[in-house]
Amino acid sequence: MSAGLDLEQRYRRVLRLLPRYYRDRWEEDMVAAFLDGWMTGDPDEDSVTMEYDRPTREEIVSVIALAARLHLGGAGAPRRFFAWGQAVRNAVLGVMLAHAVWGLSQLALFARSRHLIGWLPPPPGGFWPVLGYATGYAWIVVFVALVLADYRTARVGAVLVLGATVASVVHQQLAGTLVSPAATWAYTVVIDVAPALAMAAFHRDAPPVRRRPWLLALPAWYLLVSVPVLWAELSGHAAWVPDVVGRCCLLVSLVCLFHAARVWSGRAGTGVWSLTLLLLAAVTGLYRIISLPVFAQDSHLIVVGLVELLILAVTAALVAPDAVRSQSATPAPLGYQELR
Amino acid sequence: MTGQAFFVLTALADGPRHGYGIVREVVELSQGRVKLKIGSLYGVLDRLSADGLIEPDREEAHDGRLRRYYRLTDGGRRALAEEADLRAATARVVRARLGLTGPKPAGAAG
Repeated sequence: MSAGLDLEQRYRRVLRLLPRYYRDRWEEDMVAAFLDGWMTGDPDEDSVTMEYDRPTREEIVSVIALAARLHLGGAGAPRRFFAWGQAVRNAVLGVMLAHAVWGLSQLALFARSRHLIGWLPPPPGGFWPVLGYATGYAWIVVFVALVLADYRTARVGAVLVLGATVASVVHQQLAGTLVSPAATWAYTVVIDVAPALAMAAFHRDAPPVRRRPWLLALPAWYLLVSVPVLWAELSGHAAWVPDVVGRCCLLVSLVCLFHAARVWSGRAGTGVWSLTLLLLAAVTGLYRIISLPVFAQDSHLIVVGLVELLILAVTAALVAPDAVRSQSATPAPLGYQELR
Repeated sequence: MTGQAFFVLTALADGPRHGYGIVREVVELSQGRVKLKIGSLYGVLDRLSADGLIEPDREEAHDGRLRRYYRLTDGGRRALAEEADLRAATARVVRARLGLTGPKPAGAAG
């Protein structure tokens, strides 16, 4: 793939991962420092090195880490990169909030199993169900740690949860209990792996999260959505309740609608939240699409899923123009320097 | 201040250095424990530069390429001194808690 290139050109290829504004300032310097580390002063040896050697994996990883931090900018980043950084951080918090709400539901089932709540059905026992509850509780820890800026705890928790989730899916596949293995793996990637990787946006330069609204959102979502849904299911009205993906579609659509009204009334601010909602709509829409094959035997549910997708697409389109605005109109964060 | 930033500032304390010169000096200062990759080094240099703790000193041609040298600003010198004092004080507390009565570690203030 890189035939004909020398070591310098190979390294410059890696540096293309960095934003242009950063390369304009640092690329030549980085190349000089990189090559200084390889050159010995012996022309023959240096010639062989230039022709045959490649940047080490560690060097490439360090550039990838730098690129992630710059593209998902924090304080001091140019406004376009800062807006993307904020939107990805908000979207990750949104997905983690959904996971944490699910964890709260698991906690309620556990309380039932200990006879703390009498009216809930008892949960199944055994290793894998218990691992499922533990995964749910761990998502709560990950979400709260992110909000409290304890990023190390959040990352360790996310790695453990991902490990348990993958183990559980493998177990179900081997046991032949998955309705659609491809769909299950696809949404494991979309709602578990991808948001966990996007936690890279919570780096040292990331501005602190506004704690109170996010922490209040957890019990609010549980009490206003999960509890009524549980009540409807237990009281024999399950047919009227959308599945969990459908509920996510409708919830994101509602927030898009509410936010669009704010945008039109001129109270929306910088466009970062519109970009956040577009990201959440994309994740939720993808989740809906890849979960549709599960309904292959029921055309009515397929139609319901498509209607949910349509509602999501229309409401997301309402905030799209404002999201585009975020690429130029986001106020410069603290420490921003026009020439950087 | 991160450990990497502390070592980079320390590497520049006795005079300007270019990128790879900083990498080598940090390896020596840390007795081989910290080996900065170029991506990491320029992440640190960019941040220190934005914070006004270092600034470009000069450029020199070497093997057909320009080497840019960096130096500490007055603010960088003050920040490094404060960080060194803080780390020395922390080390003293730790040694006292451990009941270590041997000689103080090299560079400890006070």
